[in-house]
Amino acid sequence: MSRQTSQRRDLSSWAIFRIPVVVAILSLIGLVGALLDDGAWDWIGSGLLAVAVVVTVWALIVRRRRAT
Amino acid sequence: MKTRTIRAWTWVHKWSSLVSTVFLLMLCVTGLPLVFTHEIEEVLLHQAWTPANPEGRRLDLDQVLATALSRHPGDVPAFMSFDEDRPVVNVTSRAPDAPAGAYNFQPIDQTSGYAAPLVAGHPVMEFLLQLHTDMFLGLPGMLFLGAMGLLLVVAVVSGVVLYAPFMRRLPFGTVRADKAARTRWLDYHNLLGAVTVAWVLVVGVTGVVNTLATPIIAYWKDTALKDLTAAYDAPVAAGERASLDAAVKRAQAALPGMQLQFVAFPGSSYSTDHHYAVFFHGDTPVTTHMITPALIDARTGDLAAVAPMPWYVKTLSLSQPLHFGDYGGLALKILWALLDVATIVILVSGLYLWLAKRRRAG
Repeated sequence: MSRQTSQRRDLSSWAIFRIPVVVAILSLIGLVGALLDDGAWDWIGSGLLAVAVVVTVWALIVRRRRAT
Repeated sequence: MKTRTIRAWTWVHKWSSLVSTVFLLMLCVTGLPLVFTHEIEEVLLHQAWTPANPEGRRLDLDQVLATALSRHPGDVPAFMSFDEDRPVVNVTSRAPDAPAGAYNFQPIDQTSGYAAPLVAGHPVMEFLLQLHTDMFLGLPGMLFLGAMGLLLVVAVVSGVVLYAPFMRRLPFGTVRADKAARTRWLDYHNLLGAVTVAWVLVVGVTGVVNTLATPIIAYWKDTALKDLTAAYDAPVAAGERASLDAAVKRAQAALPGMQLQFVAFPGSSYSTDHHYAVFFHGDTPVTTHMITPALIDARTGDLAAVAPMPWYVKTLSLSQPLHFGDYGGLALKILWALLDVATIVILVSGLYLWLAKRRRAG
C-alpha cells in the first residue's frame, strides 16, 4: 500500500530530467570534441555519443522488466 | 503545469510533427545510406587503378583543363578539385545552355591526361543526395526542407516540455510492456525522444543551416566580395584568362602551409566574374572544414586578395560535418546510423500514437 502511494507522488523536475540532461550534455561534448581533435578524441567523442545508445538498451532491459 | 498550458504545447507538438513527419522520414531514410557514402562508393566504384606514368612529370593545370575541355567542346569550366591520395585532378564543367545543376565531371590522370575512374559520385548515391538535399526542386526544395527542419526543432522543444507531465509518475525509461500497444509505444517514443534530444537538435539545426547554403554564398558574394570587383567593368572572357597553373602557384605562395582544396573559375558560384578563387583548408580537424580563398585576377594572374570567410560562411562550413557525421571515423558513423534509426522509430511511433488517438476518439 505504501509502495503504491509513493509511486503516485509526482517526481521532481530534476528526477524527471536528470538522466536526459546528462545524456544530452555527454552527447554534445562528444559531438564537438570529435570535431575539435583527431585520434583519441574520435574515440572519446564516439564513446560519449554512445551513452545515448547504452542508456536506451539499459532502459529497454531493466525498466521494461520492472514495469507493472 | 496547468491543463490549458499542456493542451497548448500538445497542439504545438502535434502540428509541428504532423506537418513535417513525411519529409523528416524521407530525410532519415535517405540519410541512413548517405552516412556511409564514402564506404559504399568505395565498394560500388572501386577499380584497381594506377596512374599511367607514376614517376613521370605531371601535366600542369592548364594542360589538364585543356584536356578536359577538349572532351566536351564548348563547355565552360566551373570547378577544379584535387584528389588527396592519387594524382588525379577533377574538372567540373558545364555547357552554356545546360539546365541549372547539370555538370560534366571528369577525373583526369595528371600523369597522362587519360580519364581516371570515378571514386565518388555513384548515380545511386547522387540520387539519394539530391533527394535528401532538395527533392530535385532546386533552391525552393532546399528552403522547404529547411522549413521542415525548423518544424523538427519546434517538435523537439515542445516534446521536451511535454515530457515532464507525461513522466511525472514514471521513472526514466519505463516501458509499460504489459499495457495496451498505445501506452507501450508512448513509452518507447518518450524514451527514444529523451535520449536523442541533443543529437537530433544538432543534426536538425545544422541541416537547416545547410539548406541556406545558396543564399549564404550569394550574400557572401554580394557583400564581402563586392568591393573586390568594383574596379572591374566586364566579366573576363575565356580567351583573356591568365594561366591557371600560375594563378594557383601564386595563391599557394600567399597561403603557405595550407592545403589546396579546389579552384572556382570566373563566373561560377564561389567566385566572381573576374577571379580565379583558389580555396585552401587547414590541416587540423576544425580548420579542415574552414576554407580560405585567395582571389587571383583572371586577366593578369596577380593576387587580388586573400579573403577569409566571414562568420556566417564559417558557420555553414562547420554545419556540414556536424550534419553528415563524417568527421570522427567509422565508429561515429555507426552511432549516427543508430541514432538515425532511433529517430525513424520516434517519427513512426508519433504518427501511430496520433492515429490511435484519433481512432479511439472516433
